[in-house]
Amino acid sequence: MTGTIEGGWPYVIAAYALTWVVWAIYVVSLVLRGHRGAP
Amino acid sequence: MRWVYALGALALAALGTGHAIGLLVAPPDRAMGETVRILYVHVPTAWTAMLAFTVAMVAAVGALWSGRPGWDALLEGSVEVGVVFNGLLLCQGSLWARPTWDAWWTWDPRLTTSAIMMVAFTGVLVLRRLLHPPERRAVASAVATIVSFVDVPVVYLSVKWWNTTHQGFSSVETVDPVMLAPLLTSIAGTTLLGASLLVWRTRIAMAARHREDDAPDLPPTPIPLDLEASR
Amino acid sequence: MRLLLALVRKDLLVGWRGRARLVGLSTYAVTLLLLFSFALGPDSTTLHEHAPAYAWVAILSASTLLLAQSFQQEVEGGALEGLLLLPVSPTAMFYAKALANLLLLLFLALVLLPVSVVLFGLRPAGSPVALAGVLALGGAGLVAPGTLYAALTARVKAQQVLLPVLLFPLVVPPLLAAVKATSLLLEGDPMHQVGTWVGLLATFDVLYWSLCGVLFGRVVEE
Repeated sequence: MTGTIEGGWPYVIAAYALTWVVWAIYVVSLVLRGHRGAP
Repeated sequence: MRWVYALGALALAALGTGHAIGLLVAPPDRAMGETVRILYVHVPTAWTAMLAFTVAMVAAVGALWSGRPGWDALLEGSVEVGVVFNGLLLCQGSLWARPTWDAWWTWDPRLTTSAIMMVAFTGVLVLRRLLHPPERRAVASAVATIVSFVDVPVVYLSVKWWNTTHQGFSSVETVDPVMLAPLLTSIAGTTLLGASLLVWRTRIAMAARHREDDAPDLPPTPIPLDLEASR
Repeated sequence: MRLLLALVRKDLLVGWRGRARLVGLSTYAVTLLLLFSFALGPDSTTLHEHAPAYAWVAILSASTLLLAQSFQQEVEGGALEGLLLLPVSPTAMFYAKALANLLLLLFLALVLLPVSVVLFGLRPAGSPVALAGVLALGGAGLVAPGTLYAALTARVKAQQVLLPVLLFPLVVPPLLAAVKATSLLLEGDPMHQVGTWVGLLATFDVLYWSLCGVLFGRVVEE
C-alpha cells in the first residue's frame, strides 16, 4: 500500500450495493420458503 | 416471532446509520483513500459469518449430544446464514483488493481460508440436501460441521506458513476514532441482522422438519389439508 | 489389537480380490500425470519444478475414487450390521478401515512415484526412507477425513460428487505440507526446512486421526 489510492468510489459503491442486494435477495428467499412451509 | 421483526428493524436502523456515516461522514483514509469505506461493510460481514459458524458448531455439538431436532434446525439455519455472509465476504474482499492490491484475488492466508471455509460449509448444505432420513442427516451434518469448524484455523495456519509473504491488515489499534464510529455501528447492525436471519431460517427449518416427520412414509398418498388438526 | 489387524486384513483382502480396480485406479492416476504435462506443454523446467504438486494432486484424485468404494461392501451386503455385532469399538473399526485405505493409497503412490520421476525428469536427492515417510504421513492426512466422510456419504446416491466436495477443503493443510516436504526432499533442502513441514504434517495427522476416530462412532452407530 503506497500512497493514496485514486478512483476508489466505484468499488465502494459496488461493495455497498452488492451487500444490500444480497441481503434483500436472502430475505425474499426466506419469505418465500416461510410461506411454502406454512400449513 | 414478533421479537425477530423488532430485532430486524433495530438491525436495519443501526445498519442505515453505520453505512450512512461510513459513506458520507467518515473521511477517506490517508493510505487507502476512499476504499477504506469498504471495510465498514467488510469487517462486520466477516465477524457475522464467523459468529454464525460458531453457532453452527455449538448446534452440531448439541445435536450429537442430545439428538433433539431443535439443534439440527439451528445448525441448518446458522450454516446457511454463515455461507451467505461468507460469499458476500469474498465478493467484498475482491472489490477491495482490486483497487488496493491491483488484483481481484491473492493467495493471502485470510482470503484462502475464507474461500476454503465457504466450500467446506457449502458442502455441509449439499450433504443435508442429499441425505435421508432426518435422523441420519442430523448426525452426518453435525459431524461434517464439527470437522469443518476445526479445519478453519488449521487451514489458516497452514496457508500462513505456506505463503509467508502476506501483507498486514489494519487492526483495531490502528483505526482512527473517526472511523471507529461507523465501524462499530455497522458491526452491531450486521450482527443483529445476521442473528434475526438466523432465527428466521431456523424456524423455517423447524417447520420443514415437522412436515417431514408428519408426512407418511410412502409419499403418493395425498397430504391431509388440516395438518394441525391431525397432529 | 488382534481384531483390528484382522479387520485390516479383511479390507486388504477385499482390495486384493478387486485388484483389477486397483490397476484401473493406478492407470487413472498415471493418466492424470500425463495430462498435466500435456496441459502445461513440453516446457520441462515448469514440469520439473512442480512435479511433487502434480503427483500429490493425482494421488488425491485417485484417492477419492478409492475411498468412495471403501464402504460399499458394508452398506450393500449389510456387513456393517455384522461388524457392529463384533466385540470391537467403532473407533477400532475406524482405525482398521483407515489403515487399510492408507495401505491401498500407498500402493498407488508407489506406482506413481517412479512414473513421475521418469516423466518429469526428477533426480531424487533425499533419502528414500524419508520420502517414504513423507508419503505415509501425507497419505495418512488424506485418509483419515476420507474414511470418515466415505462412511458418512456411503448411502448417498451422489457420493462420487459429494465426497470430494466435503473432503477437499479438509485435505488442504496436509496437502500443502506434503507437497512442500516432498519437493524439498526431491530437489534438495539447502535451508533445512523439511523438518518443519514434516512436523506440521505429523501435527495435522494427529489432529485428524483423533478427531475423526472420535466422531466415527456416531456415524455408524445409528
